[in-house]
Amino acid sequence: MGDIVVLLKAALNPEMVRSKPDGTLDQDAIPLKLSDIDRNAVEEAAKLKQKLGGKVIGIMVLTVGPVAKREKDLKMAVQEALAKGVDEAIVVADDKLTPGDQVQTARIIAEVIRNSGINPSIILASEATIDETTGQIPGRVAAKLGLPYISFARSIEVADGKIIAERDLEEELEKVEAELPVVVSVTQEINQPRPPTLIQIRRAARKPQKRLGADDVKQAIGTKRVILERRIVTINRKQQIIEGSNLEEIADKLIEILEKEGVIKL
Amino acid sequence: MKALIVAEYTRDALEGIKAAKTLATGNTILLVFGPASTEAENVSGLVDKVYTLPSRNPEAVYNALRKVYEDEKPDLILGVVSKNVKDSLSRLAGAYDLPMSTEVLEASIEDRSVKYKRGILSERAYSIEKAPMPAIILFNPRIFEPEEARPGGEVVKLEEGDTKVKQIGISKKQLSGVKLEEAEIVVGVGRGFKKKEDLKLAFELAELLGGQVGGSRPIAADFKWLPEDAWIGISGKRISPKLYIAIGISGAPQHMSAVMGSKVIVAVNKDKNAPIFKQADYGVVADLYQFLPILIKKIRERKG
Repeated sequence: MGDIVVLLKAALNPEMVRSKPDGTLDQDAIPLKLSDIDRNAVEEAAKLKQKLGGKVIGIMVLTVGPVAKREKDLKMAVQEALAKGVDEAIVVADDKLTPGDQVQTARIIAEVIRNSGINPSIILASEATIDETTGQIPGRVAAKLGLPYISFARSIEVADGKIIAERDLEEELEKVEAELPVVVSVTQEINQPRPPTLIQIRRAARKPQKRLGADDVKQAIGTKRVILERRIVTINRKQQIIEGSNLEEIADKLIEILEKEGVIKL
Repeated sequence: MKALIVAEYTRDALEGIKAAKTLATGNTILLVFGPASTEAENVSGLVDKVYTLPSRNPEAVYNALRKVYEDEKPDLILGVVSKNVKDSLSRLAGAYDLPMSTEVLEASIEDRSVKYKRGILSERAYSIEKAPMPAIILFNPRIFEPEEARPGGEVVKLEEGDTKVKQIGISKKQLSGVKLEEAEIVVGVGRGFKKKEDLKLAFELAELLGGQVGGSRPIAADFKWLPEDAWIGISGKRISPKLYIAIGISGAPQHMSAVMGSKVIVAVNKDKNAPIFKQADYGVVADLYQFLPILIKKIRERKG
């Protein structure tokens, strides 16, 4: 078995969205965390390693800066991945590479894989990240490396240099087969990530980490997307609790309100 | 200026053609694959040329796309989000370093760029971005009214070719067939329900109001008390009914961002501190097992 590569992202945390008084997104104030479905990709990588051997290499490209301000979150995200099953992390972070876009991120990942002596049997990624959620990086990387790609996998089995996967489509489950090496994007249903043990957490700190900057990925620099404006979505809900001396009265009031709103007709 | 529309389903093709015309592109080329390929002739009158590929294997679609991209040199590649469309276009994006955006809400052309808006951060924010053409833009479904199909245009069949990933089986999911995204009233059920049989309270309420029942992630995806297409959430269905009644749902962000488009939101939860009350118009703090039978009785009385 060659290397098991997992693509990771320290993503903006949607549960900690912050905005400025004028409603624009205060992106610098939003912390980063390891993207949710990345945990499933790491878990699957750890399971594959247990069965087939090999080394799990995590690649993380920082897309939002400034780097100095993101160091702590970045470190936490990498530690989490290392504790959960990644053996070795490669982190690409440089202010010259932020803000990134998907064109640049995919180019960086492909270049790192080509130039770091990695020999992937399988490249695992999540079907989408929690911040941008465009789900295009694994497909881009597959095309760049000329590898077959299996998207939206909700189960995989690897044996004898082959993979059989179940793709989760809108209305069907599609079973597919391919020879390794292959790029696979996984859905949250693929497994139940286990929390790391204390020993795993302690060991994580000693696992090798490689830090790369813009100079190491020169060929990959260049974005196309320009962000013009980001604003938070404001929801103005009435937040009115319907009170009453008993449930009968509350039910009556609710029905009357909904009729007045014109959303039910009895 | 030339647009290439890529679609797996005919409805998406018709929406994509509408999008191309709304964006005021010049020539329009359509590539339909899988199920839509059998209906290519019916829609061919709307565009300058239709390419068809019977396969829905995204690798075969990607191979075909590369050839069409080289031959046609489109400025804009348009479509409606579906998994196989996303898959095959993400590969094309990688092969040519094209900017690509998905789940787009609106777009316009400015000089040699496309400007677009999309939701980010679990729909809690939106982003307005710009990318130089050629670019790939995948719209959310139902943003555009579909064009009326019209036959009579040129249809070109594409070669299937060999693929490295091969299909070895396919099975239909267990689905309810209910189109939650089209319902005017939706009753949402969450973990406040203790067992599957109890959901009949929600179904009874929905039926009285002429609505449909959907569920949060634990109900539909984990316990499987509802079919998968009744799952309301970011990874499930996004809905925007006139009335959403959330029962026994705490209000997790992944659920709430999928119902944000609702006109009126009612929450029933016995925990007065449940986050859902801050995101609802009207709240009832009560045990659903006590409140729902009363509400159902009252509605029934009024209906006579």
